[in-house]
Amino acid sequence: MKKLLLTAALALGLAHGAQAQEFPEGPVTIVVPYSPSGNTDVFMRHLAPSLEEKWGQPVVVDNRPGGGSMVGTAYVSQAKPDGQTLLLTSSAFVTAPALQASLPFDPRADLMPIANPGFVSFLLVVNGESGYETLEEFIADSKESPKFGATAGLGTTTHFAMEQFLAESGANVDVVHFKGGGPAVVSILSREADIYGSSVSSAGEHIKTGAVKPLAIIGDDRIPLLPDVPSTKELGFDGLNIKQWIGLFAPAGTDPAIIEKVNADVNAAIQNADFIETVTPLDWTLNTSSVEGFTDKVNTELDIWKQLAIDRGLAQ
Amino acid sequence: MDLLSNLGLGLGVALSLTNLFYCFLGALLGTIIGVIPGLGVLAAISLLFPLTFNLEPTTALIMLGGIWYGTTYGGSTASILLNLPGTPANAVTCLDGYPMARQGRGGVALFMTTVASFFGATFGIVLLTLFTPVIAEYALRFGSAEYFALMLMGLVAASTMAEGSAIKGLAMVTLGIIIGLAGMDTQSATIRFTFGVLGLLEGVSLIALAMGIFGIAEIIMSVRRIQAADIDPDSVKLSAIKPSRDEVGRSWFPMLRGSALGSFFGTLPGTGPSIAAFLSYGIEKRINKKPERFGKGAIEGIMGPESANNAADMTAFIPTLSLGVPGSATMALMLGVLMIHGVAPGPNLISGQPELFWGLIMSFWVGNIILLVLNIPFIGLWVRMLTIPYHLLYPSVIVFICIGAYTANMSSLNIWMVALFGAVGFAMRILRFPGAPLLLGFVLGPMMEEHFRRAMVLSRGDFATFIERPLSAIILSLTAAILIWGVMGASNLRKRRIVPDTAPDGPSNS
Repeated sequence: MKKLLLTAALALGLAHGAQAQEFPEGPVTIVVPYSPSGNTDVFMRHLAPSLEEKWGQPVVVDNRPGGGSMVGTAYVSQAKPDGQTLLLTSSAFVTAPALQASLPFDPRADLMPIANPGFVSFLLVVNGESGYETLEEFIADSKESPKFGATAGLGTTTHFAMEQFLAESGANVDVVHFKGGGPAVVSILSREADIYGSSVSSAGEHIKTGAVKPLAIIGDDRIPLLPDVPSTKELGFDGLNIKQWIGLFAPAGTDPAIIEKVNADVNAAIQNADFIETVTPLDWTLNTSSVEGFTDKVNTELDIWKQLAIDRGLAQ
Repeated sequence: MDLLSNLGLGLGVALSLTNLFYCFLGALLGTIIGVIPGLGVLAAISLLFPLTFNLEPTTALIMLGGIWYGTTYGGSTASILLNLPGTPANAVTCLDGYPMARQGRGGVALFMTTVASFFGATFGIVLLTLFTPVIAEYALRFGSAEYFALMLMGLVAASTMAEGSAIKGLAMVTLGIIIGLAGMDTQSATIRFTFGVLGLLEGVSLIALAMGIFGIAEIIMSVRRIQAADIDPDSVKLSAIKPSRDEVGRSWFPMLRGSALGSFFGTLPGTGPSIAAFLSYGIEKRINKKPERFGKGAIEGIMGPESANNAADMTAFIPTLSLGVPGSATMALMLGVLMIHGVAPGPNLISGQPELFWGLIMSFWVGNIILLVLNIPFIGLWVRMLTIPYHLLYPSVIVFICIGAYTANMSSLNIWMVALFGAVGFAMRILRFPGAPLLLGFVLGPMMEEHFRRAMVLSRGDFATFIERPLSAIILSLTAAILIWGVMGASNLRKRRIVPDTAPDGPSNS
């Protein structure tokens, strides 16, 4: 009996190996749970040609927006786990579950992390005429008279960036949600809100004209596009590390060999010179990742944001 | 002359052979998508978006822009001829356009809406050309409190737009608002009225609702009619499109008011052509000396909305290009085209990319002239649709509606919603509940709520914010004035009813 099981296991293993080598067996659909032209969508569309070249199969980008990425994510969680349907989503994958008690999928059990090819840094920005020169000045002033912090929507990464900043700095700021990054930047321009954790691309042009002033880069390091702006770590906030990342996922039950292959192919694809040339001006920092490393990151972040949501009284 | 050299530069870009071709292609595609009920501009542009990777950003925008404003041109055709709105922004054109067609004035209606579209678009383009930076600056003064006040004004101004019982109209506005509540609340992420259906997280699709209530309901109603010859096709021949002098005279002011209103709403992100068209209709009916003519083929009832929605289409580019803030999902796609090519929209766009900005604006002129030239000869062709027997025409329309609803966000749930709202719309027709107020409540309600909630957060729970902020206070006083005017108008009307009119109606009221 034991022998039989062993043989079966071996046979299965072999079958799996063979399957992985055959991957992909047809066109690969990569679901982007956002509208065409969003950050994630643009990244994927630029990446697709390199993957097509590697796989010798068409890569179809399938936009399934809705519910702040939840609709498309749930769709892939129920897809056939053969590697032919994958998900490219943002860090909303780890932030949204911290707020929503009843998700249509289990982020730990229903999807398998594959690769984490890039991230975008956040800036803390204020209105150019607000008079704040440093983040300390803003924090001190907020304790005199309370301020408003904008987000691009409840449960988005910008929301958690704001909450993490408030938890670390003790600034007296009420959070107000806007529908998307554009309206959030406008709220800074119109001074309806006072501070926003923005991506460079959302605020970039307004930083150039001086209408919006960046006070700090969230995280450990400065960014090449704004070399004069200090990082929050330099300013003494060690715990601020949030990034807007993107990640590739497969439905649970996908052959680990396929996962490894896709991981390797994505890591190779982001080395493509054309690809680098087109996406780096869009503020992406490209990132080589391992399946294991990314899985750990996802699980850790799910815990971190859940805890932050509980600490800040956001969880339902 | 700085402006002149810019216009020259733009014209040079717009008239290059490639750009002219893509402009024509966009305008033609837009017209066709607009004419076919259900097929939406968002779906069309989403599908074409990947193709624009290989085009110059200016060329790509010229084509997508052509589709965007072309749709609104074409959208009135089916509203007028079949009582099926081509796009949600043309739904209100059914109210008077279809009665005109039934009176044998369909050709006039088609011709005049083309004129109104051209007029409105031209108005919008002039604003776009001369005042883009100024308007963008001014739009920043509109905070959440002002948006709320504006939406409230819209609801009040347009509340009497439907024929018949006021209480039924009110009930439908309320139902529209309730349907609009479905989905995830923006300030608390509370999930409402989704009944566990994932696809409803984003709320009910506007296309599914509009096509169900107006389109499918109309088709079911037509089962009672037997043949296609409801409208005499001869009445819409090219020779029969000439409006009477009286109709031309009555069109000027609605077009001007509609264009101004549409331009205003276009510049405010989040509002747009549908709201502009509804409000224009509401206002035309309210200020008209004979509001009872509306709903029975009043030319004002098509001229106002059709100039408003086209003007809004044009001015929607102001916040998109100069602030980098897209007013709608379609405008977000336009922004995406720029971002993909590494062009950052925002205050530096005009000075940094003059070829793109001025080329695009000049292409709007070119595109609108193309549309004008394209649409007038097409009137004869569209009217041929009426000669198709209903039993052939309507099944194909249903197929297009389903395709349109599905492609709106690639969800088969939308098709079920079309069926459901078709049944609701049919029941409403039988019970004589008007559809337009429902659509208005659905469009305005969620925005009103979103801005009200945000204004309350920003005022830390103080209701006084709505009257303390000067702009909001002005809009609210206007709203109150409209309300009082409406109540007085209603009591006058009652008096008139009690003392029957002895004087016969004017000759214009045939």
